[in-house]
Amino acid sequence: MATTTEDQSSDGPLQRWTQSAIKNPEKVYRALFYAAMIFFLVTTLFPFYWLVVLAVTPEGNLLAGSFLPTVNLFGVSGTFPLPVPKGFNPGAFINVFQEVPFHLYMLNSFALAITTTVIVLFVASLAGYVFGRLRFPGRALLMLAILAISYFPPAAFVIPLFQAFAGNAPITIPFTNIPLFTPPRLLNTPGSMVLPFSALFMPLSIFILTTFYGQIPDGLEDAARVEGTTRLGALFRVIMPLSAPGVATASVLTFIAVYNEYFFSSIMATSPEATKWSPIVGGILSYQTQYTTQYNLMAAASIIGVLPVVILVVVAQERIVSGLTSGALKE
Amino acid sequence: MARVRLEHVTKRYDDQGDVVTAVDDMNLDIAHGEFICFVGPSGCGKSTTMETIAGLTIPTEGQVFIGDRDVTNLPPKDRGIAMVFQNIALFPHMDVYDNISFGLRLRDYPQDEIDRRVERAADIVQLEGMLERMPEEMSGGQRQRVAIARAIVREPDVFLMDEPLANLDAKLKVHMRTELQRLHKELDTTIIYVTHDQEEAMTLSDRIAVLDSGSLQQIDPPLTCYNEPDNLFVAGFIGSPSMNFVEGTVTEDALETPNFSLQFDPSSIEGISVGDSVTLGIRPEDIYPADLRDEVADPSGIIQARTDILEPMGDEIFAYLLLGDGETSMSQEMATNDQLLMSIDPDSDIEEEDEVGVVIDRRNVHLFDSASGEAIVHDLRPVGTDSSASGSEVETDD
Repeated sequence: MATTTEDQSSDGPLQRWTQSAIKNPEKVYRALFYAAMIFFLVTTLFPFYWLVVLAVTPEGNLLAGSFLPTVNLFGVSGTFPLPVPKGFNPGAFINVFQEVPFHLYMLNSFALAITTTVIVLFVASLAGYVFGRLRFPGRALLMLAILAISYFPPAAFVIPLFQAFAGNAPITIPFTNIPLFTPPRLLNTPGSMVLPFSALFMPLSIFILTTFYGQIPDGLEDAARVEGTTRLGALFRVIMPLSAPGVATASVLTFIAVYNEYFFSSIMATSPEATKWSPIVGGILSYQTQYTTQYNLMAAASIIGVLPVVILVVVAQERIVSGLTSGALKE
Repeated sequence: MARVRLEHVTKRYDDQGDVVTAVDDMNLDIAHGEFICFVGPSGCGKSTTMETIAGLTIPTEGQVFIGDRDVTNLPPKDRGIAMVFQNIALFPHMDVYDNISFGLRLRDYPQDEIDRRVERAADIVQLEGMLERMPEEMSGGQRQRVAIARAIVREPDVFLMDEPLANLDAKLKVHMRTELQRLHKELDTTIIYVTHDQEEAMTLSDRIAVLDSGSLQQIDPPLTCYNEPDNLFVAGFIGSPSMNFVEGTVTEDALETPNFSLQFDPSSIEGISVGDSVTLGIRPEDIYPADLRDEVADPSGIIQARTDILEPMGDEIFAYLLLGDGETSMSQEMATNDQLLMSIDPDSDIEEEDEVGVVIDRRNVHLFDSASGEAIVHDLRPVGTDSSASGSEVETDD
């Protein structure tokens, strides 16, 4: 009879690997982890690489020939599998601002994002305080109703909101012709964008802040109130600073969502002009005219537009990660 | 002048349909400069009572007065109070200076005034040189001192302290206790102090308010609560170890309990008549071994017992005595008819499982109405005998 060791040594490499994997499952998990990570890295980073390639390629070369270069190695020619720039034209990154006032579009996006974030944080803090720290009947149901708002597709709100913000006709009581009031004309103003953004991104922030504010010990709030604050004062002086990771998470998520927003703003700004509060995406699309599409400028503008968010995430990522997880983990 | 008055204060909670009464018709009158302790077991309503004074809880009924003002519906910040919390509750995101000056900054005091006051408060609680530390860098005792400094810096009319020493270790607790007494002397402010530790209450306060199930049981100076408890609850709660309780029936000339009888003259004591069911209360230190009978002012007859367990404490020994057949049984909530706890001299050569005879000092026998728990008498000698003359008076029993 052959012993086990003899069996193993006679096995092929696959059997040997399987044997060691069973003994050492961590090995497999690590391999799977790397495989998954590489997959995600490639799928997320490749578009950026592609943008860079497009941006530095001179405009004239964009449509001529392939981005995949042909390599000739010892008489064997083949296609290099990664796209490379056809030429080098860093001037596109300057041209971006000369052809279209792209900085103004960025400013629009910034202003919209910051205003929305401030509004959302303020209102969501009040709501988070109530949901997280007070007990009242119907609390869970009300929370569910608020979260339900974020389940609706934004498109469902567009037409009624556009009508309301156009300010042409008075708002009527539903199913009747009884007029209530004529809203001011908000199209092409920040109001028409900040209002729906605030409403749409509010539920997530309320949810995050509720979890955080609910965890601050009652004693600290009581202490602040005895020391001389009102309940509201205690919220902004004690509860909110102590929930900094949650506040940071809510604000960064809101900021990024609004900064990248296009759907509402493309409709609420009646044409993609910086003076009409069109955001970054509106600016990027302005490089496309009726007859030409300057892909290299669009790519360069996209890279410039995404930089602030990248910086924000890199700076705040520790806070965001701890904010997203600690809500669930803290006792 | 910060006199604190509670008039018919009642607090009810609605706990999923059940109404829970946390504080039941509380009436208190606390004088200016008094150090008063609210003491009672967990859930007796002492913290809720304090919260109604602080304004963190609005009473369902009744009124709270601080000084001459009706503060019942005022927010905490307008009541002229400061509070030290059980969990200390320092703001973790502020350093010591910011913690202490928090209330002053909210009230827009000028900066030099704030600096002066913070310095003085830090001086009183011995925190000099630590103003820049964060709370997490400090020990429990230091944090507690910061919390106290935060309270005194505002020079409030009333101090509220909710178990401020509960989270400190035993040694620090004793140290902070003396510091608090010193502080009270220095500040001359009304202090209301909540604790579940009767020893803390005894040592600190001018008067103790004993609470149980949301109602006031007794409010008196510590020694009065100890020597003349108003009812069974106070008698059992104040004093450590707790008072012995034995149930009995009054006869013509004695109190008959299941295991012994105690001679006395019921007719000489008001509020008691033959046939009444009463509970006898006697503190461990008022029980003596029979051989010391001559030194006891007014000894009872000898009660035969057997020692069960001895607990040497160093300065005294607690001896658990078994009476009768030695089977311990709990007849009622508090009374243990077959067991007595006595405190004996540490030099005593008594051992476990010894047969001993003991006498009790009838001057310090408390009788309570078994049904209502109310105290009837705290001295079994006939009315009119003065305690100072007790040494000359010798009675014989049996």
